[in-house]
Amino acid sequence: MALNRLDNKQLTAFIPGTIIDVKVKVGQQVKQGEILVILDAMKMHNRILSPINTTVKEVNVKTGDRVAKGFVMVVLD
Amino acid sequence: MPLKSKIEELQKRKEEVLQGGGEQAIAKQAAMGKLTARERVIALLDEDSFHEYDLFVEHEARDFGMDGKILHGDGVIIGTGTIYSAPVAIFAQDFTVAGGSLGLMHARKITKIMDYALRMRIPLIGINDSGGARIQEGVNSLAGYGEIFWRNTLSSGIIPQISVILGPCAGGAVYSPALTDYVFVVDKISKMFITGPEVIKSVLGEEISQDDLGGARVHAEITGNAHFYAESEIECFEQIKKLITFIPWNNSRKARRFEPKEPKPEYNIEKIVPNDPKQPYDVRDVIKALADDSDFFEIHEKWAANIVIGFGRLNGETVGFVANQPLVMAGVLDVDSSDKAARFIRYCDAFNIPLCTLVDLPGYLPGIDQEHAGVIRHGAKILYAYSEASVPKLTVILRKAYGGGYIAMSSRHLRADFVFAWPGAEIAVMGPEGAANIIFRKEIMEAKDPDKIRLQKVEEYKEKFANPYVAAARGYIDSVIEPKETRKLLLHGLEVSSTKIADRPTKKHGIPPF
Repeated sequence: MALNRLDNKQLTAFIPGTIIDVKVKVGQQVKQGEILVILDAMKMHNRILSPINTTVKEVNVKTGDRVAKGFVMVVLD
Repeated sequence: MPLKSKIEELQKRKEEVLQGGGEQAIAKQAAMGKLTARERVIALLDEDSFHEYDLFVEHEARDFGMDGKILHGDGVIIGTGTIYSAPVAIFAQDFTVAGGSLGLMHARKITKIMDYALRMRIPLIGINDSGGARIQEGVNSLAGYGEIFWRNTLSSGIIPQISVILGPCAGGAVYSPALTDYVFVVDKISKMFITGPEVIKSVLGEEISQDDLGGARVHAEITGNAHFYAESEIECFEQIKKLITFIPWNNSRKARRFEPKEPKPEYNIEKIVPNDPKQPYDVRDVIKALADDSDFFEIHEKWAANIVIGFGRLNGETVGFVANQPLVMAGVLDVDSSDKAARFIRYCDAFNIPLCTLVDLPGYLPGIDQEHAGVIRHGAKILYAYSEASVPKLTVILRKAYGGGYIAMSSRHLRADFVFAWPGAEIAVMGPEGAANIIFRKEIMEAKDPDKIRLQKVEEYKEKFANPYVAAARGYIDSVIEPKETRKLLLHGLEVSSTKIADRPTKKHGIPPF
């Protein structure tokens, strides 16, 4: 439900930036705290981590992509 | 009547009241996975230390069938006891008695123990588990809440006030916890909201469960109303007990001093912060590399995680740590992280707890949503809180300190007592990329190969300004230090500032940007 922001399964860019690494593929199992994507923004290589143990449902970015704020980079199951 | 019979009568009366809402109601409480009010108080306090007052209080309500209805203790327990030998005053609402509903005498018991706590200058703990106002008692219930809120405000900054949400806490009842210093919640048990799911459904047509609306995780992760989250009541009580060890009994004392201990060797301060300023790390490891026994008691762990706050000890003395967290959103300041840090800084200042600030941030978070959410007004709270704080203030700039973020994070200009910077610190008005683009705009635009010149100029700026020595040349920082010297200097800084006097003009009170 959209009202509930807990355990968000859509990982969005908190700020515009450049994808410098994509660590996961669709269907891959990931653990809580595992790095999914690295987003270069705000003078930092930000690690986008999985909030839960699950599988990757969608990967919408590739290395080198510029993403806008709020862009859904990875969707988890 | 002989004395023996009088004593027997007392015992009989006590037994009767100690049953609370009776077997059935207690079984219901257990079925919800909850301890009873008395079990909670006993689990939280030192063994045999609890003394209960107002056991025989009765309500006087006559309307709506209340006449003749017996509500033991009027649904709340009050008393005093100790936690690790520190005295505390406590109240615990008893959900087994009329759903812990708040009537006139129920409120009077709470305000009585609040008055006691303030008079004795000891911490107050309130365990909330109540269906809300006792409707049958009408405006007397509202008066009761108002009297509680007034006392919460009166006591604020004099005695520590701790709220524990162990059941529903809805409507007006939520404001007492919100006025206190710390709110503790427990998964599946705590529920806090102003208007519950039923009202929301009837007015707005939106459907949501109690837990999704105002459960423990919602307040610990989204709203920030809760400071501590636990999976069970027993874990929650351990957190409260630990908190009590870090804070003083009142604002005229210092927190208890512990035996100093060196940090644990697995936290090597020279290996935590990467040399490349673009690489993130967990700033809590730096705190653990500095604090006695590497013991860091984090507050608001899951909310606004781009800033880290909590207590640790340096040389046995409680210190409030405030640190940017490069691991989350690059450690930017925004609306929530500003609110989080500012309130903590004011808490430490009120209770004589020195502040240790670790700086590594790119600045404030840019964005339309942040601007429109009032990041100016919220961000100003940090400036206000640091400027106002008169406790010893020690600052260590680990890496980045740019722009408004540099000023905000306990800079010399806001009257930090000691500002240290590591050799890799970058202290400047803005990042090299942005600065070079502005300063050398013309040169870059007119160049044959603008990208090459831009990179060259960025490097030039980096070399010239992205270091600690420009600030050191003006005395804005006191020393450029090696990471391994940090703890030694912090300990010394605390030692020489223990008799600090920060003169301030007399005023009734300031007007912080609430």
